[in-house]
Amino acid sequence: MVMWQKWFSVKGKSLFSIAFSLHRLTGVVLTIYLCMHLAYLTSIRMGKEVFESFIATTVTPQFLIFDILLVLAGIYHGVNGLRLILHEFGLTYESRKSILYVSVAIVLIVWLIASYRMYTFVMGV
Amino acid sequence: MDVEFRIRRFDGEKSYWQTFNIPVKRGMTVLEGLYYIKENLDGSLTFRASCRMAICGSCAVKINGKPRLACETQILEIGNSLEVEPLDNFKVIKDLVTDFEGFFKKHEAVKPYLIRKDDNYEEPVELIQSPKELHAYYDFTLCVKCGACYSVCPAAATRDDYLGPAAITAAYRFNADSRDEGEKIRLALVCGDNGVWRCHFAAECSEVCPKQIDPAKAVQKIRFKSAIETIKSIFR
Amino acid sequence: MANEINKEEMHTKRVLEPLAWIFQLISGLILTVLVTFHFYETHFVSHEAMEYELVVSRLSSLGYKIMYALLVFFVAFHAFNGVRAILLDTNFGAKYPQVVNSLCFLAFLIAFGYGSLLLLVF
Repeated sequence: MVMWQKWFSVKGKSLFSIAFSLHRLTGVVLTIYLCMHLAYLTSIRMGKEVFESFIATTVTPQFLIFDILLVLAGIYHGVNGLRLILHEFGLTYESRKSILYVSVAIVLIVWLIASYRMYTFVMGV
Repeated sequence: MDVEFRIRRFDGEKSYWQTFNIPVKRGMTVLEGLYYIKENLDGSLTFRASCRMAICGSCAVKINGKPRLACETQILEIGNSLEVEPLDNFKVIKDLVTDFEGFFKKHEAVKPYLIRKDDNYEEPVELIQSPKELHAYYDFTLCVKCGACYSVCPAAATRDDYLGPAAITAAYRFNADSRDEGEKIRLALVCGDNGVWRCHFAAECSEVCPKQIDPAKAVQKIRFKSAIETIKSIFR
Repeated sequence: MANEINKEEMHTKRVLEPLAWIFQLISGLILTVLVTFHFYETHFVSHEAMEYELVVSRLSSLGYKIMYALLVFFVAFHAFNGVRAILLDTNFGAKYPQVVNSLCFLAFLIAFGYGSLLLLVF
């Protein structure tokens, strides 16, 4: 019980620690999504009608919010991961603060572009 | 002016918060505040302290959620209400005193001393080191073993036998020392499951180190080195 | 002498961790490219990308098969190695590292196998 609470509390923690916690959280979310996605793709093997009914159910305005959050998780994990790769190879340690800010900015910009694209497609705008 | 100290106490059985109001003058440190409480308000308050000048590492406590040395933290810099708690990831013995036995054992486990083949106490030899060679590891010698880094490490929070940033930094400090010849020995000691592989660069250790040592940097460097050495060993 | 390391201690078991760590970083790097491409293909190229015929035609072509196989391989490795790292960070993982390693490897094989099935069927 206590462990879980510690994982999610932000009091006294710096942005670096919070970035790490988010990286772990998005990683777990993406792993769960991976399993769901592989199961979802089973519908391709079951023929055109099954697959297209799956698509018709999930590529809808109701699912859009989940897709947008999923894409945020994916982009955050990827961009933050690139930041971690740099540091874990022992490079650019001194400029870690600026790199963190730049990474967050990149995540937001790319996410907004991807979300906008998904929104216009699903809403038929 | 009066400042409120909310202290998380522990009597061996239960943990509880207790509030004290103490008169504070400009320049007074949190440690002085704790001493005031102990001397005037509640003699049973227990905490560790020694040098009062940020060199012994005894008085590390969590102040408003962040681990700091009580002797070098000004009360009025924090505010007029402080929460003081013992460090995380350590077993609390009483009030603000935690069990450092495991922490020191982990430090010992990485062989934090110069290892040389020509060790001869009967006929000591002077070891020459240039200023450049000193700078390569000097920052990491400043560790006061306060435990702040260990208390914020997310890996140390969930795995009790993780060596921790302080011990791994000590290993790096000696590996990077040009006078040392025990690099391979220490690399073997830190590349176990409870060593460098548990670090994922949360880098909180570097944020809270009162000596600004950058333990995160040391762990990355020694991890990379131990990866290369372990892989090279396949080809030997 | 007490200070001499035992050569036998550095045997192959010790190599798993550094190799897994390096491969996690490399697969992460590769995935930023492959996943971006996959997302681009399915969302940015054309509105018809998710029509059944087009999906099947991609799955049948050799070039895409190779791309998807690589994607599934790296993603399955990266995901389950990540889960392995999380589990090894706990006291449970400290006590039973072999259980954690085996379970995660099994999960990787299942994910990779199941994902590749799609490529073999078409």
